[in-house]
Amino acid sequence: MRKFIRRNAAGYVFLTPWLIGFFFLALGPILVSLYLSFTRYDMVSAPVWDGLGNYQYMFEYDRRFWKALEVTFTFVAFSVPLRLAAALGVAMLLDKGLRSIGVYRAIFYLPSLLGASIAIALLWREMFGLNGVINQVLATIGITGKGWITDPDTSIYTIVVLAMWQFGSPMLIFLAGLRGIPRDLYEAAEIDGTSRTRQFFRITLPMLAPVIFFNLVLQTIEAFKTFTSAFIISNGTGAPADSLLFYTVYLFNEAFKFFRMGYASALAWVLLLIIAAFTALAFATSKYWVHYENERD
Amino acid sequence: MKLTRRTLLGTMGAAAAASAMPLKAFAQSQSIRHFWWGNPTRDERTFKVIEMFQGSHPDIAVQGETIGWGDYWTKMATQTAGGNMADVIQMAHTYIHEYVQRGGVVPLNDYIGNGIDLSHYDAGANDIGTMGGDLYGINIGATCPSIPYNRRVFEEAGVEFDPLTWTTDDFAAACEAVTSSTGGAVTGSEDMSLYMETFEIFSRQAGQDFYTEDGKLTMTVEQVAAWWQMWKELRDAGVVEGKDQTVQLDKGMADLGLIRGTTGTTFRWANQAGALQGLMQDPLGLAIVPQRAGMQSGHFVLPSMFLCLTRDAGDIPAALAYIDNWVNDEETIKVLGIDRGIPPSQKGRDILAPQLNETDAMVVKYFGDTQSQILSTPVIGPKGSGEVRDSFMRTGTEVVLGNMSPQDAADQFVHDAEGILIRASR
Repeated sequence: MRKFIRRNAAGYVFLTPWLIGFFFLALGPILVSLYLSFTRYDMVSAPVWDGLGNYQYMFEYDRRFWKALEVTFTFVAFSVPLRLAAALGVAMLLDKGLRSIGVYRAIFYLPSLLGASIAIALLWREMFGLNGVINQVLATIGITGKGWITDPDTSIYTIVVLAMWQFGSPMLIFLAGLRGIPRDLYEAAEIDGTSRTRQFFRITLPMLAPVIFFNLVLQTIEAFKTFTSAFIISNGTGAPADSLLFYTVYLFNEAFKFFRMGYASALAWVLLLIIAAFTALAFATSKYWVHYENERD
Repeated sequence: MKLTRRTLLGTMGAAAAASAMPLKAFAQSQSIRHFWWGNPTRDERTFKVIEMFQGSHPDIAVQGETIGWGDYWTKMATQTAGGNMADVIQMAHTYIHEYVQRGGVVPLNDYIGNGIDLSHYDAGANDIGTMGGDLYGINIGATCPSIPYNRRVFEEAGVEFDPLTWTTDDFAAACEAVTSSTGGAVTGSEDMSLYMETFEIFSRQAGQDFYTEDGKLTMTVEQVAAWWQMWKELRDAGVVEGKDQTVQLDKGMADLGLIRGTTGTTFRWANQAGALQGLMQDPLGLAIVPQRAGMQSGHFVLPSMFLCLTRDAGDIPAALAYIDNWVNDEETIKVLGIDRGIPPSQKGRDILAPQLNETDAMVVKYFGDTQSQILSTPVIGPKGSGEVRDSFMRTGTEVVLGNMSPQDAADQFVHDAEGILIRASR
């Protein structure tokens, strides 16, 4: 025990601000929402105990719940790998030791700061609209565009592209990771005449594995929670034809449009369990592909 | 929930910033908030009224808040949940039951004749705002459905019709004429598949209402399917607006094809004609929702909106003074005009008569000309009917996009609507 404290004390001290926030601000509402998920609660009158009613309705009758899952899973499946690939690609370019790299880093990080904003979501809606910039550009090369956002077959990919564009934070983490790979590994490879591609797969990727893992977990969680862009672009409804009915958008509508806070709480808990399951899955598989350099045991 | 909260605050902040008017002064001892859904013309008029009210009631600070229809109900819901509703709100018949049943708005019986003077109101003008013997919503303007159309476009296409009696066949022919005479640059009409209000008139023509008096769904699959089938045929013929435009829900007024000059008609409540005309160059005309051959009229008159006092109203005397001023003050009535509907009192109509411009006069004339077509008033939907409306648009979208047949979609809609009402009534 003493050894544990000595080894981890510093970590916990650094965690203090977060821990205080968690225990004093977040924990209470989280537990209350667990209780509410077993009730019918319209936020005006007192909650009414409903046992597993919400969960039963969700799994047995609620078609939109399944639709929301489908939309969200599609989004996660596309946006996470694409964002990570974009982040790694740009990080590798920036790792070449460009002059005034700080400026480039800032520029590439900018979309991540902007991307979550309402202004960008509105801009996106205009860009991909029927008379938007995208179609005007396509028109110059003779392609007739369409309403990318109003067509349920393509609407979700406009949000995938938006998500991919916000690669800033995983990029910074990749960049730090790349810096941490000892140069002599590459030098040795050069001497042996190893091709660049082979170097990437045999040195860069394995050495980066812990960082990739970290980014994968964080970005997956982030992707499941995507809300602002889908909410704004679909006018808060998940339209057209529920193709932008992200899980969080559905949850928001149930809670704040139809006053079903109990049901919304149940939805929130199911999302929490889904995210937890995916994170657990990532951790469980990690031992097969993630190797830490300084493993002690 | 963190994400939701942050976004929520963001949205509300943006909305607050958008509606910020420097109306709060510290000297005023009482303060109230008035929240309405608007359009540019209406917002201008309403802020003018608030300014005038401040002039005559220097002790009451009024804060006006406005937002478009689509966002209005989301914001209203969050404010209701958060216990910070505006003192005075604008209410629609689609949602009044919802808010009454949930206790968001309070009965006004005790204040009538005792703070608010409604003695000059038409008989029955407040019937729809009255539930279980209690008055919850004060009628602030009557309106009726209409098909506003671009007169220049119709004339140039050589469309000859009687706007007060035209049929769905005449309508289809007009769409055909407009589309072909402009080479497709202007289509005859918006595709109204998703307009539940327009559908309601169509269905009433067959004697079919949406709800029963006790809040049950009475709409039939047959009527819904017929509606979507009719629009499918017009769409297939290429004489109405394309699906990309159609599936954009709750478009702002400026985005309508009628305003952009790409369609000949749309559906709107007649009181909005002034706002529409304000956004377009071509002259506007008003026609009834086309009649189905051999069927009865589905036309009706409703209060276009109500003023309600909310559960969260802090300073009731100040709010009452504001409402009373709204319905009685001559200058206020003049500034408001008929943007929110025709005043439900002879006094109000007399005040406005001398100042009506051409469009307003047309609205009043249309209102009068169609009186004889009113057979009944539709039953106002129960709690859950707002959600039924969402479901109608969602399922209709599938038909417009060609993913479902009108018949299948109608089956699904009626089934879903029944489920929604059962769930809402629990």
